[in-house]
Amino acid sequence: MRNGKPIIQVENLRKSWGNFTALDGVSVTFNEGEVVCIIGPSGSGKSTLLRSINHLEPHNAGRIVVDGIELDDDMKNIDAVRAEVGMVFQSFNLFSHMTVLDNITLAPRRVRKWGNEKAEKVALELLERVGLSAHSHKYPNQLSGGQQQRVAIARALAMQPRVMLFDEPTSALDPEMVNEVLLVMRDLASSGMTMLIVTHEMGFAREVADRVIFFDQGNIVEQSNDPAGFFNHPAHPRAQAFLKQIKHAA
Amino acid sequence: MIDKLKDRDALTLVGSVLGLGLILGFIGTALAPLPDPIGPAAQQFADGALTTIELTLVAGALGLVLGVVAAVGKRSQVLPVRWLADLYVWIIRGTPLMLQILFFFLALPAIAPQLQLSEFWTAVLALSLNVGAYNAEVIRAGIAAVPSGQIEAARSLGLSSLYSFWDIVLPQAVRISLPPLANNMVALLKDSSLAYAIGVVELTMASSRVQAESFRPDIVLPTVAVVYLLLTTTFTQFAAALERKLAVGKR
Repeated sequence: MRNGKPIIQVENLRKSWGNFTALDGVSVTFNEGEVVCIIGPSGSGKSTLLRSINHLEPHNAGRIVVDGIELDDDMKNIDAVRAEVGMVFQSFNLFSHMTVLDNITLAPRRVRKWGNEKAEKVALELLERVGLSAHSHKYPNQLSGGQQQRVAIARALAMQPRVMLFDEPTSALDPEMVNEVLLVMRDLASSGMTMLIVTHEMGFAREVADRVIFFDQGNIVEQSNDPAGFFNHPAHPRAQAFLKQIKHAA
Repeated sequence: MIDKLKDRDALTLVGSVLGLGLILGFIGTALAPLPDPIGPAAQQFADGALTTIELTLVAGALGLVLGVVAAVGKRSQVLPVRWLADLYVWIIRGTPLMLQILFFFLALPAIAPQLQLSEFWTAVLALSLNVGAYNAEVIRAGIAAVPSGQIEAARSLGLSSLYSFWDIVLPQAVRISLPPLANNMVALLKDSSLAYAIGVVELTMASSRVQAESFRPDIVLPTVAVVYLLLTTTFTQFAAALERKLAVGKR
């Protein structure tokens, strides 16, 4: 069990669109080095929480503090947080007009002001780490979904973030490509990276998570530092029903 | 750079540019052996074609910049900026180009006498403002068509809104807008013939003079049409090659 000091603090976070409440006063703290898996039915607010943490969704009320930086409307703070927080999307979102290498080096060159040489060196190391050294000069549309997602992870890592957010990273993948992405994430988890993962891969969550959070209707209804215990004996009736349905589907 | 030039589309790109130069260089030579009234006037045609291309390239480049600026203005959160961009496109698209050219030639010197523009630069001013307004609509649509996930990815990496626009949105928007932009450029090449009205000796003016001296419109006008076709074809070939070349990263 890794439990460093708090790195992300969320207090009473609220977000709604019209009548729909996505986040209904969520309070939670994430610690350095922790791997947290966030699960729950779709529309329960888990992705919205993740997107709020780097201000892709501005929240309506409450506070978010990331690594000591308060996320308010100050663009400087927002960009500072975003530089420290890597995000991996369900649909990869690689820059389609750039090669793999340029995808990875762009932000370090622009935001970290690294020279080309350093940016490329780091990018090639990361590509090797995700097993794609041979693909640095390809364009995203020449890669499979699993390869694209691994590049997306490398791209986020190139900024040397303190925290990595994964928003259903394997949901858009063909089944046979899920594992290659999970493998990279497993490797990342064991390296001590702080990771928040919204996922439907329950086996993966059970295996790598230090903590599991179950979301329903815009709030956390159950969380556990014992993933195996949670998956075997969820306490909350909604969690019980959710896990039962997933087991039936599998 | 060498690697990038090895493929066929890159060759077409370079070829079209060289082709344009060659056509311009050799129009005079090619037309010279032809019988009267074309042969003796070959140099006039060649000079006219050169002016037409100069008008098109200069106004086209300025119009592209204007188009991007106006497109961004139309999407601005700042209301007066948006109004200004809307007003510009509204006026230009809603009035005849000929009127615009005459306005800058006749009315502008009356309004701002200290502004001393030659006929050529007056035409450039009118043509670039005109094509810029049409480009603005095309580029605005291109910007709107860039998937929001691309922008989210850029912002999530900590890129400022300016870098996100410059590195991600604009290059993709221009790719999307390329076919209609090429259309506007070809239209501009032909519209440059209206500079004739204010005395710019471009291709149409040149042909008009030759025609008036020779009284042979049946020969002169088709000849000019062929020259225009050669020029527009080079432009469309260039645009098509550029489109294929830039499509590499597109899904």
